[in-house]
Amino acid sequence: MKLYVKAISSYRSDREDIDVKKELKSRYKLDTRRQDAFIHLAVLGAQRLRESAEIYENDELFLTSGVGNIDVIARTNIAVVENHQFIKPFDFINMLGNTTSYYVATSLGVKGKNIFDISDNFTYFNTLVLIYASLKSSNNEAVCGAIDLVSEYDEVFRRVMGVAQDIAVVSSVNYQKLSTKPEDAIAAVEFDTKSYTKEEIESLIAESGLKVYASMRCRDIDALQSKAFFETDASGWINSMIRDKESALYVESYNEKYKLLQVSML
Amino acid sequence: MAKIKILNYEIASAQGDKEATTQAIKNGAIKSSSKIVSMQDEAMKIPYFTLPQSVEDEFDAIYEAMKKVVEKTIVNLSSEQKARTALLLGTSLVDDNLVKAVEHTIYDYKKTPYSSSKRSIDSLCRDMADELGLNSFTMTISTACTSSVNALLEAKNLLECELFEYVLVVGLEISSVMMSSGFASMKLLSQESQKPFDKSRDGLVLGEAIAAVLVGEGESLWSIAGGYSNCNSVNITSVSASGEEYVDVMQKALLNSNLEAADIDILKAHATATPTNDLSEINAISKIFTNDICFTALKPYVGHTLGACGALEVAMLLSCVDAGFIPKTIGHSASIIPEYQPLLQERAYGGEKNFMLNYFGFGGNNTSLILQRNHQ
Repeated sequence: MKLYVKAISSYRSDREDIDVKKELKSRYKLDTRRQDAFIHLAVLGAQRLRESAEIYENDELFLTSGVGNIDVIARTNIAVVENHQFIKPFDFINMLGNTTSYYVATSLGVKGKNIFDISDNFTYFNTLVLIYASLKSSNNEAVCGAIDLVSEYDEVFRRVMGVAQDIAVVSSVNYQKLSTKPEDAIAAVEFDTKSYTKEEIESLIAESGLKVYASMRCRDIDALQSKAFFETDASGWINSMIRDKESALYVESYNEKYKLLQVSML
Repeated sequence: MAKIKILNYEIASAQGDKEATTQAIKNGAIKSSSKIVSMQDEAMKIPYFTLPQSVEDEFDAIYEAMKKVVEKTIVNLSSEQKARTALLLGTSLVDDNLVKAVEHTIYDYKKTPYSSSKRSIDSLCRDMADELGLNSFTMTISTACTSSVNALLEAKNLLECELFEYVLVVGLEISSVMMSSGFASMKLLSQESQKPFDKSRDGLVLGEAIAAVLVGEGESLWSIAGGYSNCNSVNITSVSASGEEYVDVMQKALLNSNLEAADIDILKAHATATPTNDLSEINAISKIFTNDICFTALKPYVGHTLGACGALEVAMLLSCVDAGFIPKTIGHSASIIPEYQPLLQERAYGGEKNFMLNYFGFGGNNTSLILQRNHQ
């Protein structure tokens, strides 16, 4: 499967020292009330994408995340389970995954399909598969966002993501504007539904002759890795390769299965 | 391209399994229960459609309950076919793994030594795929009340691209304190019963359910003709009273299915029985269809099962039709629009072909699905 990338946007908390909420209000003149940090992060990435991408009303929006909105779960858990209080209506609404999608769609003026999804098995890769299948059917374009928020409860993020306690974790949001057609694209991303063994993936890497990047989950693969963890790392590396105008491979691993995607600059 | 067929479906609802649920609808012997929602000094008793065998809001219990439904749905698949079956879950459940991680981190008295293993809401699917030999492609879609119907539309796309041989779509909703409390805080719950499209409607009744729908190519009377899903509302919880956003999604679903409104024989409405949603929906119905459209509501039989209602109400409708009848709408006496009356008497199935099923959720998610039943 191949999807064409028409535009990208990124933010990482360890690389930019900004107040995301203030940025949304001051730079993008957006109303940030009734939202929380996870939603703000998702909207920031979308607004940055809009600066370089043409967004259409019928664009399909797919958002994915390693775990979703931790803060609102913590806040409501304290309120309802511990303090036996009524949940606040907007905390209840923000607990729903697609609330984030709603605010992103609204900020972009998008009224097309709107999916919030999570997979234990390669959440970003699987989202690309869903997007490919959807665009093949609709002939629309897609906005793909990958969001991971590390906030006050960073241990919760580590526990749920299954990473060691001493690993650095960061908040991140990365978007791509995707199409099944090459017109006006800057890069292509190729991927498939297949997973590979370590031996198979090493053989594929050797055959390609391309530079290889990998998730921190792939410590046994000879490849350049991030120095900080976030679940949707693949989305970040795609954007990084495109910014550096570099065709390369990316490897992700989970439960001793490996997946591969290739970015080719156009 | 061959049509994507609905090959099998199963139900676990407050009325029981597929056969029991269908019989309960047929006989009008509807079982419901109640729950106490305790908040500060207030204890509120609310009607609730709970599963006959209680399922704790806890990962292992939910997993076992889901597995029973899934196993029945894929009983006819060989090992090889299972390996080519993707699993999509639609739910608005709060992730129990996340809740536990929160509790084990932030409360001193619940604190546990640090341990980590990747667990998310989709672990239900991942573990099930591993245990039952399904394909490792799993996804959990969370789009509120449209979650599992959206999963069904995504399944259709995956199959049309020939990425898998089958896709199993599961809708899942189990009672939780947080969801009950949330709906109570929004004052959307009826204190008695659901009265769809009725002038005196006063809210929804929550329900638990697990439903599974197996789709792919093969022998079946039922196929997915098409559908449409979008994000279109005036705010995060509602559309306009005129229902124009619902009109839009229904029109696009018809276009996607190469059908016109007059081709639709039966409409399964979303019909939450809340004052605003039902008003918008019946206004939309009146703009799309002439007043002889046969429309019905299924939530009074099983409750509003939120993320599960997509797959559940597909399975319920198919089961009733396969049993030879179109289910009537119960709890209704006087329509919001007198010219548009839901089906009040059960109707024998008379070879109707095109069925539209509507689902609308918070977050502006609206979905209209069109199914076809071919004549034997």
